[in-house]
Amino acid sequence: MGKKLTNITGRAWVFGKNINTDMIIQGQYLTLLDYKEMAKHAFEVPRPVFATKVKKDDIIVAGSNFGGGSSREEAPKVLMHSGVGCVVAESFARIFYRNSFNIGLPLLIIPNISKLVKDGETVTVNLLEGTLQIKEKGDVIHGQPLSERMLEMLKAGGAVPWFKKNKK
Amino acid sequence: MGFTLAEKMLASHTNDGKAAAGEIVQARVDLLMVHEVLGSRILPILDEMGFKKVWNPNRVLVVNDHWAPASDINSAEIHRRNRNFVKQQGIKNFCDVDCGISHQVLPEMGLVVPGATIIGSDSHSTTYGAFNAFSTGLAATDSALILATGECWFRVPESLKIKITGDLGPRVMSKDLILNIINELGPDGANYQSMEFHGPTIDAMSVGERMTMCNMAVEAGAKCAPMPLNQDVKFWMEDNAPKKKWREVKSDDDAEYVESLHFNLDKEPLEPTVAPPDLPTNGKPVAEVAGVPIDQAFLGSCTNGRIGDLLVAAEILKGKKVHDGVRLIITPASKKTYMEALERGIIKILMDAGGIVTNSTCGACVGGHLGVLGAGEVCISSSNRNFRGRMGHQDSRIYLASPATIAASALKGVITDPRSV
Repeated sequence: MGKKLTNITGRAWVFGKNINTDMIIQGQYLTLLDYKEMAKHAFEVPRPVFATKVKKDDIIVAGSNFGGGSSREEAPKVLMHSGVGCVVAESFARIFYRNSFNIGLPLLIIPNISKLVKDGETVTVNLLEGTLQIKEKGDVIHGQPLSERMLEMLKAGGAVPWFKKNKK
Repeated sequence: MGFTLAEKMLASHTNDGKAAAGEIVQARVDLLMVHEVLGSRILPILDEMGFKKVWNPNRVLVVNDHWAPASDINSAEIHRRNRNFVKQQGIKNFCDVDCGISHQVLPEMGLVVPGATIIGSDSHSTTYGAFNAFSTGLAATDSALILATGECWFRVPESLKIKITGDLGPRVMSKDLILNIINELGPDGANYQSMEFHGPTIDAMSVGERMTMCNMAVEAGAKCAPMPLNQDVKFWMEDNAPKKKWREVKSDDDAEYVESLHFNLDKEPLEPTVAPPDLPTNGKPVAEVAGVPIDQAFLGSCTNGRIGDLLVAAEILKGKKVHDGVRLIITPASKKTYMEALERGIIKILMDAGGIVTNSTCGACVGGHLGVLGAGEVCISSSNRNFRGRMGHQDSRIYLASPATIAASALKGVITDPRSV
């Protein structure tokens, strides 16, 4: 089963631009074979408190070019294992974008979003509408709706369940 | 309307022979390269898929390169899993821990030819664009699906045309050129795009110099970095892939590009360039950072660990000694490179100068082993990424530069213009 696509509500963790995959999970942890162990080191360099404070359905909000650098699928995986409900950024690096949908982690592109949301604010994401609502203020901010292909992949729970369903 | 290199290379691998920028296509993969990601991440996905047999064992290359030989128990386990998989699946193209870095050994084994589609489970798989091929990096799930089907979906990238004319100048290398290009573009300036290189400067380059440029195209976000064929690539094919059939791919004169950039090095001569922490796109002329003290100088990686790179360093270091307190670590990109450097006396020169020569591996570049940095240490590196903590402690600092600048800096103990030594 895939992640939920509407009403993903959680606290926002706001980051700047160019958060690369080394910052999400450092190379020194890539030989760990258990994702739960690895997730304890998510965002260790830019936000050392993240791994212990993150709660289910929290939302990552970031500037442009989120997930650049190494192709490591471990980056979206540790976010998924940390309970992150969605990553909303001004733009994503290409491999990270693909990897996230492949494993069933929702992403949403909304221009200027890192300046509109404050760290710690409760926000609600609706992937079908492509929107983010800031709870306390009630503003609904519109982003780029997801393509059919990406929505289908999320509904299936990622590329592997999608593949199993669609082969033959 | 004509087509770009990326469009043509993808089109020749689709069922209907078509691929235009912006379209999503299903394309055949000529070769899949996987490294330690196979043992650590892909195998569990294959289990989940109920996978039995690789689509074609002759079209897969498995490399144990990142932590070679094993740096800890986990990497030993990953290597063990890779060896078992290779045996089980009858995969002949296998490079165990004695071979070197995937992006160097793949071409050495004759596994890339012009026009091919090559996917690697590594972001620096853009390197094979140097051979007039389409190549890009993906990760575990996509690799697993390719292992099962031999195909992959792609969004056909828009192309960015980069024309380069003029000479590099003494002790200015292709690394300096690519550091300047990605500086101009920024870290996402070519995101999702094909960085298509053109011009007489590219045509005159050796295979190694070209690989350095295609390797780092991904640092500006590029999906692939195909180059037109040149004479040195033809020679490479004669030497390394003599039995393979291939056809040159040329872009059309009326192909559509999102943007065209021209770097005229005769008009604006290139300076040796250094990218200070923490982004590869931070490049600036060496003069602006000259004098920064260093603890380590690293000459290696899939970017600049090739024979031409070691040779340039040896020319600078011959008969001299590395500065007191500086560790010069040399990690040849492949065993073949290492052996050639031995035979040509390059290794002796580097070791006489005080260099530490390691086996071929990704090693220090990924902070894996053989040159990990401690807190507060500064390294000048010929590799491709200077992200915070990339080579070790999060409070260490990495400056990216060419092999010539690495050698000159090792000699002086501070970041140094290679033309001054």
